[in-house]
Amino acid sequence: MNALTIKALGFAALLIIATLAVVIQMDIDLTDSINAIAVGGAIAIATITAYVTTLYIGKMKTDTATGELVDENWDGIGERTNELPSGWAYTFLGTIIWLVWYWFIGYPVFGFSQIGQYNEEVLAHKARYEKKFAAASPSELKDMGKSLFFVQCAPCHGNTGDGLSGKAHDLTKRISKSEVLDVINNGSNKLGYPMGMMPPGMASGKDAEDIATYIAGGLKGEAPASSAACTSCHGADFKGNNGMAPNLVAYDNTLISHVLENGKKGIIGTMPSFKTMITPIQEKALTAYIQSIVE
Amino acid sequence: MQSNAALEYDYTVAKMFTYVTILFGFLGMLIGTTMALQLAFPELSNLIGEYGTFSRLRPVHTNTVIFGFTVSGVFATWYYFSQRVLKVSMAESKFLMTIGKIHFWLYFVGALIATVTLVLGISQGKEYAQYNWWVDIVIVIVWILWGVSMFGLIGIRREKVLYVSIWYYMACFLGIAMLYLFNNASIPTYFLSDGLGSINNSVSMYAGTNDALVQWWYGHNAVAFGFTVPIVGMIYYFLPKESGQAVYSYKLSLLSFWGLMFVYLWAGSHHLLWSTVPDWMQTMGSTFSIVLILPSWGSAINMLLTMKGEWNQLADNPLIKFMVIASTFYMLSTIEGPIQAIKSVNAIAHFTDWIPGHVHDGVLGWVAFMIMASLFHMAPRMWKKEIYSKKLMGIQFWMQTTGVVLYFTSMWVAGITQGMMWRAVDEYGNLVYSFIDTVTVLHPYYTIRGISGVLYLSGFILFAYNMYKTITAGKELTEEPQFRTPMA
Amino acid sequence: MFFHWLEKNPFFFAVMTFAVIAFAGLIEIVPNFTEAARPLTTTTPRTVLELAGKNVYIKDNCIACHSQLIRPFKSETDRYGNYSLSGEYAFDRPFLWGSKRTGPDLHRVGNYRTTDWHENHMKNPPDIVPGSIMPSYKHQFTNVADIETAYAEAVTVKNVFNVPYGDDIKAGRKAWEAYRPKVLEDAKKVAADMKDEGVKKMIANGKVPEIVALIAYLNSLK
Ligand code: HEC
Ligand code: HEC
Ligand code: HEC
Ligand code: HEM
Ligand code: HEM
Ligand SMILES: [Ca+2]
Ligand SMILES: [Ca+2]
Ligand SMILES: [Cu+2]
Repeated sequence: MNALTIKALGFAALLIIATLAVVIQMDIDLTDSINAIAVGGAIAIATITAYVTTLYIGKMKTDTATGELVDENWDGIGERTNELPSGWAYTFLGTIIWLVWYWFIGYPVFGFSQIGQYNEEVLAHKARYEKKFAAASPSELKDMGKSLFFVQCAPCHGNTGDGLSGKAHDLTKRISKSEVLDVINNGSNKLGYPMGMMPPGMASGKDAEDIATYIAGGLKGEAPASSAACTSCHGADFKGNNGMAPNLVAYDNTLISHVLENGKKGIIGTMPSFKTMITPIQEKALTAYIQSIVE
Repeated sequence: MQSNAALEYDYTVAKMFTYVTILFGFLGMLIGTTMALQLAFPELSNLIGEYGTFSRLRPVHTNTVIFGFTVSGVFATWYYFSQRVLKVSMAESKFLMTIGKIHFWLYFVGALIATVTLVLGISQGKEYAQYNWWVDIVIVIVWILWGVSMFGLIGIRREKVLYVSIWYYMACFLGIAMLYLFNNASIPTYFLSDGLGSINNSVSMYAGTNDALVQWWYGHNAVAFGFTVPIVGMIYYFLPKESGQAVYSYKLSLLSFWGLMFVYLWAGSHHLLWSTVPDWMQTMGSTFSIVLILPSWGSAINMLLTMKGEWNQLADNPLIKFMVIASTFYMLSTIEGPIQAIKSVNAIAHFTDWIPGHVHDGVLGWVAFMIMASLFHMAPRMWKKEIYSKKLMGIQFWMQTTGVVLYFTSMWVAGITQGMMWRAVDEYGNLVYSFIDTVTVLHPYYTIRGISGVLYLSGFILFAYNMYKTITAGKELTEEPQFRTPMA
Repeated sequence: MFFHWLEKNPFFFAVMTFAVIAFAGLIEIVPNFTEAARPLTTTTPRTVLELAGKNVYIKDNCIACHSQLIRPFKSETDRYGNYSLSGEYAFDRPFLWGSKRTGPDLHRVGNYRTTDWHENHMKNPPDIVPGSIMPSYKHQFTNVADIETAYAEAVTVKNVFNVPYGDDIKAGRKAWEAYRPKVLEDAKKVAADMKDEGVKKMIANGKVPEIVALIAYLNSLK
């Protein structure tokens, strides 16, 4: 091997090591077959190119040009009648034989289907995780909810769940005064509680203000008398009357479940439904996580 | 050896295309560098309102470097070397001379207008086919003019046997003609709605998955017949000519050419892996891509072997350096592509920066290197001047080589990292990374790529300057150099 | 030898080259052509407003960064929803799968983002997603969307490709004038969920800002 080839292979190795170093830093599972094959491919690209190109460039130093010339000559350019380089010729022939084999035997026998493979991937995934975490502990649930939240919810609610200064609901608090007031004034009917819709105008003027302050304040102090208008549905403790209407003091399981199922439309904007994206266990995990970040 | 001294070749058209090759190369790379910096520093995307966003600029970049820089480079070299290897001068036919000039002017004015339409957002949406329907018509006419001029010159040739380079340029002409027509077929909506709306708008002849199939049959082969075929033709002329070495093996030329012609077209569906096209079509693209390594490498190896025993030339002629490095980058991209075409590798590579990385190995290391080297070789012969500065050429070589290496290494790491992060799951089997995590992690690599762009672009400016000085202030040559290009 | 003979006969050389390269195209494209043109039973053509939005998407070239193709991997279906099916694209001219994901896939973005989110996001993405490198598209809030061209497009695909639009979509200015209020009605519905004052003003003046059309289009991606 000449010095050039060694240098080139050194460069290839450096590139691959750098790649692996970065990838490992991101906690990538290199045993995942797709990841492993991709790394294999990368290694093949770097090393084969480095080796073969420098092999030929090396010949510029060591070999001399030989071979018969053809009769023609174009603008001073001659052409030799040398045979094909054998390594090239046999590899070409080999790939052609492989291609024919692949099409007439390999592919039909293997019978690959990408949707079939997807179905297997999903089943394997279920087998690996579903049972294991079917009865996840509360702390596991919370932990599980965290990455779900970052991937699915943070684009709207922000990484800390604070709603990005009013662009989505602030999940670190139960509910704000303006949200309560909006519901009192305009009603609400997207969440799909057994009670159906919340009618508009259950209170007004100063009464509404007082109720909103009281609820948004986390039920501190004396309940305003007018809030009786609410308790018939939301329960005397405002905890939702056993799931008949939303719990106004905490993110209970029922509330999160209804929000994820139906989405929510309110004064801030619209939250989409996640019913096609979130599995039951993921819903539990998200609930546990949200309950953990609320102040 | 027959001397060409008796023939006075006419380089009028070649010179005109040389100027615009440099112009569009500069513009395209300036925009490329801007875009690279925009991804590293996104504020740069909003400096000139809607016209300066990364997204508006991207097709301006791709089309300017392809249809502006590369294609005019192909034309410039064609009008130069075709006369020489066919042993016939453009000056011998008034008709061909006129066609050549119309070809140039229609091309140049068309390209300028086309660029403006893209900046304005007038686009058909399909990659590398964004020019709208009436621009397409202009392009088709330009292409026909080139065909007339090409086959006209071949028709009156003195050298009976066509040299390898001519094969490749002919294939470039035919391939692009076929692909471009099919993929750009569309119906202007203005005429079918009794005059409603904009005259620019049109709908593709094909919908959905069909449109995708036609598009990537085109897109892959636009790469083949635009970035590969004519550039291989270029190296087959300019490397032996510059070095004075005979081409290593006719057999290898022959098998590589017909192999490339036959195999290339089948590989297009490697752009549609894991999509909604049937499995067997995807697999066809993957398998033929692997076979494609060999006819591609065949030409590169033929060129490297042509230089056997000529290490001293490699060491002290920067033009030979450019062309040898170009062959190796060609080899890199033509094994990288096939490996990215393996379904499992593509599952990681597709949609990531590893693809632009692969692209620029080819376009910066191979296409642009070959075009610049060819123009350098042509200049002293067209203007009868010595190259202004060998030293500048050397500096340019190292700046640009460093540029390409930084480009592909940074995008290689970026792409593989991002592709794997998209798949990563936590211990519970849920996705770990939100999309934005996989974006912010790329910042360092985008910055490196930005630097690589600045280096490459600066190298190109040196090239343009060196060419300019050669033309205006180079030392006069009394006799045309047979092989090695004279440089000060 | 045959090939050497070709090298002396440019015409046949060209014919041979053409035959060799044209052949693969037939096998690669033709067999699936009819099959791939069929819509799913649930696939409906886009409304005129959505088409106008698609044209904004093309004009501002979002495809530079966004794909619309969800591959059949669990990691993608978890992130974006069901993998894409051929029939879903049957009315897309051009197809907009893209080839680069500098930003996320958008094929089903209508399922998990909403009008107000897009409004905030398109104005200045880093405000919503810290670290975002997406440009801001403020000009879409003031540029007027070309709904007439979108209508012309609907007419064209209906007449040429039998795309199932209703009888009220037909050629000519009169038909368009009659249809225009419907498009404005759709635009109003989208704008109702938005906060931008300028947008509301333009809608009130009978103009559709590009952002409204674009959001209608994004919401239709499901
Ligand atoms: C008729 C029964 C009923 C009464 C009375 C009622 N609510 Fe409700 N409330 C509901 C229902 C049902 C919902 C869920 C609505 C939905 O689907 O969006 C709800 C929702 C709400 C919400 C939104 C909760 C969330 O998380 O989005 C607030 C705040 C609220 N009610 C406050 C009040 C207040 C304050 C009063 C008294 C002034 C009141 N409600 C009276 C039935 C009622
Ligand atoms: C497209 C943006 C968006 C996404 C994604 C999103 N949300 Fe929301 N969410 C909102 C908005 C906007 C509101 C406030 C609606 C209102 O009251 O105006 C909201 C409100 C909520 C509420 C309060 C509901 C109530 O009744 O008080 C909860 C809980 C919630 N989201 C949880 C989640 C979870 C969990 C996720 C992820 C799975 C999520 N959100 C994803 C936009 C979003
Ligand atoms: C320079 C690249 C770039 C361009 C151009 C771009 N985007 Fe984005 N886009 C991103 C990135 C990065 C994200 C992820 C971060 C974020 O949400 O801002 C994103 C996110 C989005 C999202 C949110 C999707 C989701 O799942 O969270 C939408 C919708 C979107 N872009 C629409 C568009 C539209 C419409 C255009 C064109 C008018 C466009 N983008 C142009 C890079 C880009
Ligand atoms: C053997 C030859 C080659 C093969 C098999 C090949 C294969 C590929 C593959 C698999 C992709 C990625 C598709 C994706 O996942 O998005 C790709 C993209 C690309 N390649 Fe190559 N490649 C080859 C040579 C080249 C060369 C020499 C160049 C340029 C000089 C080039 C330019 C491109 C371009 C521009 C793209 C991007 C297409 C897009 O916009 O998505 N390729 N190639
Ligand atoms: C200074 C040199 C250049 C720089 C910095 C540069 C930069 C870029 C950038 C940033 C992109 C977008 C990648 C993305 O979307 O992530 C791009 C795309 C592209 N560039 Fe360049 N470029 C340069 C020169 C060239 C040249 C000379 C050519 C062709 C001859 C070229 C051909 C392309 C092509 C085909 C694409 C599209 C790739 C794809 O879609 O995958 N570039 N370039
Ligand atoms: Ca076009
Ligand atoms: Ca692309
Ligand atoms: Cu390709």
